[in-house]
Amino acid sequence: MPCEMITLQLGQCGNQIGFEFWKRLCAEHGINPEGILEDYATEGTDRKDVFFYQSDDEHYIPRAVLLDLEPRVIHTIMNSPYSKLYNPENIYLSKHGGGAGNNWASGYHQGEKLQEEIFDILDREADGSDSLEGFVLCHSIAGGTGSGMGSFMLESLADRFPKKLIETYSVFPNQDEISDVVVQPYNSLLTLKRLTQCADCVVVLDNTALNRIASDRLHIQNPSFTQINKLVSTIMSVSTTTLRYPSYMNNDLVGLIAPLIPTPRLHFLMTGYTPLTTDQEGASVRKTSVLDVMRRLLQPKNMMVSTALDRNAAHCYISILNIIQGEVDPTQVHKSLQRIRERKLAQFIPWGPASIQVALSRKSPYIQSTHRVSGLMLANHTNISSLFDRALQQYDKLRKREAFLEQFRKEKMFEDNLDELDHSRQVVEDLVKEYQAATRPDYLTWSPVKSE
Amino acid sequence: MSEFKLHHLVGELLEILGSSSAPEKYVEELQKRCSRSSDLAISNVATQSCVRKLAKNAPDSDLFLQKYEELKSKNVDLLGPFMQLLDLISADKNLKDHLGKNALSTNLSNTKSSTITREDVPQICKNVIKAAVEGERKLNKQISMTDKRNDPPLVSQNWVVDRPRFSWDFPSDLSVTFCQKVVPAASQETILLWDILCCLKGMDGSYITSEPLANPYDVRSFVISQDVGTSYKQLAQQILPLASHYSMTVRFIEEKVLPEDGQVNHALRGALNCLLKDYLLFIVQLEAEHIRGKLNLQKLWFYIQPTMATMAILAHITSTICKASAKGGKVLSLLHEHMNDISGEAKSKELCLFLIRAASVPYMQTLEKWVYKGVISDPYQEFLVEDNELIQREELPMDYSADYWEKRYTVRHERIPVFLSEHAQTILRTGKYLNVIRQCGKTVQWGKQEPLEYQHRGQKYIAAIDRAYSEAARTLLEVLIHENDLMGRLRSVKNYFLLAQGDFVVQFMNLCEGELAKNMYDIVIHRLASLLELALRMSTADCDPYKDDLKPELLPHDLQFQMFRILSIQTQGEKDFCSQVDTALTGLEAFVFNYDVKWPVSLIINRKAIACYQMIFRHLFYCKHIERLLCRVWISNKIAKTFTCEAAMAYRQAFSLRQRMLDCIQHLEYYMMVEVIEPNWLTFLNKMSKVSNVDDVLSVHQDLLDNCLKECMLTDPVLLACITSLCAVCVEFCNFMQQMSRYYVDAELTSMIGSCQDDVGDCDSENDAESTLGAEEGSFEERITKLDTRFMEVLVRLLDRIRDLGREIDNEKLLNVLCRLDFNMFYTEMLSRQGMEKTTRQQDISG
Repeated sequence: MPCEMITLQLGQCGNQIGFEFWKRLCAEHGINPEGILEDYATEGTDRKDVFFYQSDDEHYIPRAVLLDLEPRVIHTIMNSPYSKLYNPENIYLSKHGGGAGNNWASGYHQGEKLQEEIFDILDREADGSDSLEGFVLCHSIAGGTGSGMGSFMLESLADRFPKKLIETYSVFPNQDEISDVVVQPYNSLLTLKRLTQCADCVVVLDNTALNRIASDRLHIQNPSFTQINKLVSTIMSVSTTTLRYPSYMNNDLVGLIAPLIPTPRLHFLMTGYTPLTTDQEGASVRKTSVLDVMRRLLQPKNMMVSTALDRNAAHCYISILNIIQGEVDPTQVHKSLQRIRERKLAQFIPWGPASIQVALSRKSPYIQSTHRVSGLMLANHTNISSLFDRALQQYDKLRKREAFLEQFRKEKMFEDNLDELDHSRQVVEDLVKEYQAATRPDYLTWSPVKSE
Repeated sequence: MSEFKLHHLVGELLEILGSSSAPEKYVEELQKRCSRSSDLAISNVATQSCVRKLAKNAPDSDLFLQKYEELKSKNVDLLGPFMQLLDLISADKNLKDHLGKNALSTNLSNTKSSTITREDVPQICKNVIKAAVEGERKLNKQISMTDKRNDPPLVSQNWVVDRPRFSWDFPSDLSVTFCQKVVPAASQETILLWDILCCLKGMDGSYITSEPLANPYDVRSFVISQDVGTSYKQLAQQILPLASHYSMTVRFIEEKVLPEDGQVNHALRGALNCLLKDYLLFIVQLEAEHIRGKLNLQKLWFYIQPTMATMAILAHITSTICKASAKGGKVLSLLHEHMNDISGEAKSKELCLFLIRAASVPYMQTLEKWVYKGVISDPYQEFLVEDNELIQREELPMDYSADYWEKRYTVRHERIPVFLSEHAQTILRTGKYLNVIRQCGKTVQWGKQEPLEYQHRGQKYIAAIDRAYSEAARTLLEVLIHENDLMGRLRSVKNYFLLAQGDFVVQFMNLCEGELAKNMYDIVIHRLASLLELALRMSTADCDPYKDDLKPELLPHDLQFQMFRILSIQTQGEKDFCSQVDTALTGLEAFVFNYDVKWPVSLIINRKAIACYQMIFRHLFYCKHIERLLCRVWISNKIAKTFTCEAAMAYRQAFSLRQRMLDCIQHLEYYMMVEVIEPNWLTFLNKMSKVSNVDDVLSVHQDLLDNCLKECMLTDPVLLACITSLCAVCVEFCNFMQQMSRYYVDAELTSMIGSCQDDVGDCDSENDAESTLGAEEGSFEERITKLDTRFMEVLVRLLDRIRDLGREIDNEKLLNVLCRLDFNMFYTEMLSRQGMEKTTRQQDISG
């Protein structure tokens, strides 16, 4: 079974989105909460084995590893109808259950201590698949477990599986509300360094944008985590749909992400999805033609990343992949592309060929949708650097005051000095600069040293 | 006429003319025009006027007309078109001059010069081809005839020939001398009456004797003795044509006794015999009357009036048939035409009808057997369908199927009776379908088998044939589509050959890439087969009931060579590529799938179709392979994100090249798979839901393959060459990058050390890498730049070619590729920038 993906869910946020993701995958493949194939789904030609494997008694079991340092979310999962879905050996809860206290360093070091046990699980899963394609990591970058332990896992995975892909779904904190995690800027920055250096592809899920979309587009006043996570699970499932419903093209992950990421460091992807509807909303008044979907996808308000408008730099798309689902005529796709090209609805990099790639995909036959066509955009846009810029600013504010650093100094990494923080800042700053350089024609010969 | 045949004929024609221009041009032109003017019937009137015009212009018009009449009396097929051709030739001055020049070396009818004006080309070609085909056919016929003659005949005895006195047609007996009777004129009448009555029975009398025939089918003439009185003589001369008619009819009856004359002639002979019996009875009655002394010449003349008309018709018919030496279908055609000519007289018409009914009985029986059972029982080559049994079905089932449909049963145009000519194809197909059905072990359930009978006006037999046809077509389609699951088969073929089953392809390549990377002669095909089976079981192809029919195969020539050989293009390019053939191919280039198909599905998925599928497959498969190579380079490059910015910069050029390659390959793949194959497949499915017979299925399927081949850029040699060299550059790049990957690791290690300690290490690492590379062939940057230039060169060539082709009418789809590859105008801008640089540089030089 080729191209298997192992999913790692880390921390509170990671496990919550993971939970929604598996729920959705089960629904799409016609697998019931206990892992048994529904009667209506036995004839399917879908690929369940990318994300599931079959146990001896024909149960479908997710290739998922659930990790957390505190028991709350995992207990919720284990008390849900889906408790029997997961392989209990793959659920790892820290013994002392104290959590990471929203401290990156604590999470990192706990990960270090637990690595033997965690890699036992991972190695077992990896051995159980014929040609493992890579890992999917779900986490948030602000908390303790997802960011700290996640960072450690990223480093170890990149080290132990250098030929495998590491794709992360990373939740960025909400900028509009004041976080109860005061060290969030430190956590974010330290995680960003690992995301830059160890992950191959980071799908950025910005809580700011997710909340905005939930309230503006879905008209939910105070969106709950579950509602937000449903959005996230939609993105996760659609972005893997060409792997699970094979057709002519894009049947492996690398073929999907390689064209999106021309140079290895610029691998932070934005997503957009349309049309978005809530469960309550019944018949849609919207028209969903291919052009309509593709045009909507290019609108910033449908982006799952909120980026500040940067007037100084002419930000542009490095690459775009649209995964279009539904009954689509290829000529319509082409016409839409031409329209977008004529109207210059999207600005592209000047230093290489770039275009809107389209992957046409089947929909799950078991989920009814009122929309004829729906689309997910995965885009590599230089404006994502504004997010990192913001993280840098917040970090600098905190760092200037030397605030809240005691907790960090307690851990081994920061006992002697805070070099790691400085180094991380340098990496993120270089990243921002590289993104900005990518907007210019001379990017291929650009170097941060020269530009200064 | 199939395209290939046309191509061949035009080629031959050009060769005869000594022209060196490529036949493709003319074939295309011809087809275009033919399709426009195919229904332009060549009418008889036009022929007449042509003949008149030609006769007027001819130096010896009498001779020409005489020759024309002679040919016409022989009922030579396609005389009309031939005359029109001659007319056209004579009307065109240029052509005439040219022909005059070539007259010595070439045959008149086979000449055409390249100076002909465009308007004439199609018509002339059409006619020439027709004439050529006809000539060939005649030759064949003659050969087959002579062959038959050499065989010892079954019932070869023509008694009349061996024993001339058996004949009822004035046995020429020289020993009987002209008996001079000196009888007074008053008493001559009785003797003359006996003489006439004898002549009417085919014997010489004493006053009246027959003259020997100059030609075997001439009208017999008689000599009346000088002694006979003028009045009697005149009356006798009025009566004697009846004897001539009788003589002609009897000649026919006596001649057409041999088996090779065919059943139709025999049947006609039977009918004529029957009529002659009545005639002789009538003569006997006259004799009796004469004996009783009640007959005189006047009375006789009165009595024979109705018989005269009848016998005239018989004589005319028989002489026409004999002159044309017609048999089988042609006899019926002549009878039918004759009947049309005399449609005014009810009595003669009835007679004709009687004859044609009788004559058509054996033919219609053969036809019945064919359209109801698919069996040909035609011992004397009369029936319009010919069975060319080539090989047994059990041998070579694949090759057999392709030929089967095309060649096993053919229509012989000269054997089609006129009244069936419009239905010849229907008749051919009906029996063909029935044969296939029978070979599948099925039978057609006939509600009612109506006997087929000739009718002059009624369309009953045609309706019956149509019914049989639709029944046979329906049954065969049922057998193919429902019982043999043709659509399922095709879907399965599409999944494998057109890579529609993506996960299977990925799986297969994962398993087999190592094996296929070897030289093709080192590959163990059994190992491939078992890996293929594994891939099939591990992907979603497992649900396919036909997966076991898929087999691996290695072809000893590459795709480009294969395509060029099929297209048989005589370009310099082709010769260049031919010379490459001896280089051993890697498994990846040589690999194709093969597919076992069983009868009767093999009728549709025949050898030819499989070959087309294989060509598309090789193209797609190789592109997919390149994509995977590039992705692998991407994976091994991803380590570069931990490099320092300086090191990363050094590699960025290479990454950008990789990106351009990947972009290009993926767009090409997307175009071929999503924009070409899938829409064509959907059109095909749509058409398939409407087909009513197997020939439609075949043509619809061929359309699918032709369109795919054309739109996948396989049929244009320049385009294909571009893509091939594009792939070659990509492979070279990938190999180079993979070789380099160990240096990345070094670079990474040093850069990590460098980042921890100080920044000095970076420079070293790069210098190291470069120095090691420099030792080989140029620095890393130089190699990349070189590859970059080559890639861009080929790509620009490709884009140009696409742009050129895209201007043609039915190629707009190709422009989609252009639009996608150059979506952000990167290449356009780059080219214009280069162009500007060039011009400025030139200005610098000149300035």
